[in-house]
Amino acid sequence: MANLSLRTLTKSYGQTEVLHGIDLDVADGEFVVFVGPSGCGKSTTLRMIAGLEEVTSGEVVIGDRVVNHLEPKERDIAMVFQNYAIYPHMSVKKNIAFGLRSSKMSKSDKEARITEVAGILDMTHLLDRKPAQLSGGQRQRVAIGRAMVRNPAVFLFDEPLSNLDAQLRTQMRLEIKKLHQRVGNTIIFVTHDQVEAMTMADRIVIMKDGHIQQVGTPSEVYHAPANTFVAQFIGAPSMNMLAGTLTKDGVVLASGQTIATQHANGTARSILLGVRPDDLTLEGAGQAIVTGHVAVREPLGAETLIYVKTDAGEIIAKADGRTPPEVGAEVTLSADGTNLHVFDADSGAVLR
Amino acid sequence: MQFYSNLSIKQKQIVWAWGFLALPVLFYGIIRFYPTGTAFVISFQEWNLLGDRTWIGWENYIELWNDPVFWKVFVNTFEYLLIGTPLSLVVSFIIAYHLDKLRFMHGFLRMLYFLPFMTSAVAMAWVWRWFYQDVPIGLFNNLLAAIGIPQIAFLNSTTNALPAVLAPAVWAGLGFQVIIFMAGLRAIPQSYYEAAKIDGVGWWTVLTQITIPLLRPTIVFIVVFSSIGFLRIFDHVFNMTTNNPGGPLNSTKPLVLMIYDIAFNGFNMGYAAAQTVVLFLILLLVSLAQLWLLRSD
Repeated sequence: MANLSLRTLTKSYGQTEVLHGIDLDVADGEFVVFVGPSGCGKSTTLRMIAGLEEVTSGEVVIGDRVVNHLEPKERDIAMVFQNYAIYPHMSVKKNIAFGLRSSKMSKSDKEARITEVAGILDMTHLLDRKPAQLSGGQRQRVAIGRAMVRNPAVFLFDEPLSNLDAQLRTQMRLEIKKLHQRVGNTIIFVTHDQVEAMTMADRIVIMKDGHIQQVGTPSEVYHAPANTFVAQFIGAPSMNMLAGTLTKDGVVLASGQTIATQHANGTARSILLGVRPDDLTLEGAGQAIVTGHVAVREPLGAETLIYVKTDAGEIIAKADGRTPPEVGAEVTLSADGTNLHVFDADSGAVLR
Repeated sequence: MQFYSNLSIKQKQIVWAWGFLALPVLFYGIIRFYPTGTAFVISFQEWNLLGDRTWIGWENYIELWNDPVFWKVFVNTFEYLLIGTPLSLVVSFIIAYHLDKLRFMHGFLRMLYFLPFMTSAVAMAWVWRWFYQDVPIGLFNNLLAAIGIPQIAFLNSTTNALPAVLAPAVWAGLGFQVIIFMAGLRAIPQSYYEAAKIDGVGWWTVLTQITIPLLRPTIVFIVVFSSIGFLRIFDHVFNMTTNNPGGPLNSTKPLVLMIYDIAFNGFNMGYAAAQTVVLFLILLLVSLAQLWLLRSD
C-alpha cells in the first residue's frame, strides 16, 4: 500500500496537449474517483499512472518512487478494464492465475492466494468455468479477482461498470465499495457517471478538458462547487443557473427581482445565480426566487420534478411525489439564502 | 396470388429465399454437381472422350493401386502439402505479426506482400524459372557463384526440383495469408495486451497464451484454405517444368498434373476420373481432419 502523487503531469499527442499539468495527492488507502465528460483526460491520467501511456512531463509517484520510466509490472499496480479484458479461452481460475504468472511465489502459495481471492469475491464455485459461461457481473468479478490476486499497492479501475445494466451497476458499485473497506488498498476509479463518483468516493476529482476542476469529498463538491461546471456536472437534475447582476443590494435577476445574498458587493458585475432543484421549495420557506408556471411534470415516485417556465428561463424544482402542482399552475419557488451559489459569469468561478 | 397471401410470414420468407436461391442452385447443379457426379460414374468406365463408354467396374482403381507413377505422384502431392502449408503458415504469421506492430510505411509494405498474390501464376513461374537457371543466366546461381559456392541444379535435380517449384507457390500465397492474419490480429482487443502488460508477463507468454489461442479461427481458416491450395497445385509446376511437365522423372508431378496428363494427353478419361475421385477423397479427409484437430472446445 502506498500514497500516490501526480506532479504537474502533462500529456501531449504530437502538438496537442490533452492534459495540462495535473497535481494530486492520494493518501494511502484512499478511494479516489476521477469523473468528467468523455475526452476530459481522466482515462489518459489513469493510463499514465498504469504505465500504459508515456508521461510527457511531470511525475507519477507511487510510494516514494518516481515511476515515470518503470514498466507497468514494476509499478505495483493492478488495473481493471472497461471490457474486463479477461481471456475467453482460459478458465476463471487461469484468468486469475494470469495475474500471478510473473510472480516468484511458489506454486502452492499461488494456489492458496487464488483460493483466497475467489473466496473474497464469492466465486469459488465458478473457478472452472469459461468466461462465456458467466454473466456480466461475474466477468467483472473475475477481472477484479485478477487484479486483487497480486495484492497491488494501487488498484486502477477504468470505467469498469459502464458495460453493465443499471441494476447490476448499482450492485457492483456496492460490492467494490465493500471490497475497499475490507481490503483497504488505494483505489483510483475512473467513471463518467457522477452518481458512481458520489456514492463510492472518499474524494472526487472532477476533470474537464485536461484540467482538474475541483477535488473534494462528495459533500464538498455537491454543496460547495468551485465553478459552474462542477455545479452542473454533480447532482441530478443539474443545478439551475439564473443570469443576473451582483449589486450592493444583492443579486438582480433578469426578471428584475432582487435577491439578498451574502455576496453583495459595491461594484456591479454579471453573475450566474445557482440553485439546486432540491433546495427550491414551493412552501414559501426562505426567500422567493422566481415565479412561473409549471410546464412539465416528471413523476419519480417519491418526488416529482417540475419544469417551471419563468421570466428568468426554465427552472427545474422538486415537488412532493403525492401532491405535485398541476401543469399550468402558477408556483413561487423559494430557497434558503445559504443554499444559493453565486458564480462569476465570465470565468464561472464561485464567488465566496 | 391468393395462394401467396394466405401464406404465413415464415412461409413467405421461404418462398422469397428460394426465389433468390434458385439461380445459384441451378448454376451449381449444372456447372458443378452434375459434372462431379458424372466424374464418379466415369471413374468406373473406360472412355477415350470420343468413343463409347464401357463399364469396367473397379478396374481403374485397381490399375491406380498398381501404378508406381501414381504412388510417386501421391507422395509428391503430400510433400507439397506437408512442406507448403506449415511453412507458409509460419512465414505469413511472422510477417503479419511484425507488420502489425509497424506504423512506418505500413500500407506500402502490405502492398508489396500482397503483390505476388495478384500476379499471374504463369508469369511468376516463368520468372522464377529464370531465377533457377544455371550460370550465367540464373539469378540464384549467379549469386552463389559470386560468393564462391558451386552452382545448384534447382529444377534439373530430382531432389531439389520439388522444393524449388514449391517456393514460388508459397511466396505467391503469402500476401493473402498475411492480410488474413493481420485482420485476425487486429480483432484481438488491445486491452488484452494491456492487461498482460500490467500483469508483467513476457512477450513469449503473450504470444503463446494470448495471441495464438485467440487467432485460432484465423489459423483454422488459413490452414484449411492453404492445404486445399497445395493439394490442388498445378499451374506453378506445369509452367516451371513445361518441357517435361512434372519432371524430372515425375519428381515434381502433383496429382492434378497427372490427371491432366492422362485425361488430355492420354485421353484415358476413366483412369483420370478415378484419380479425381481419389483427390476429392483426400481433400475431404484432410479438411475434416484439420477441422477436427483445430476445433474449438
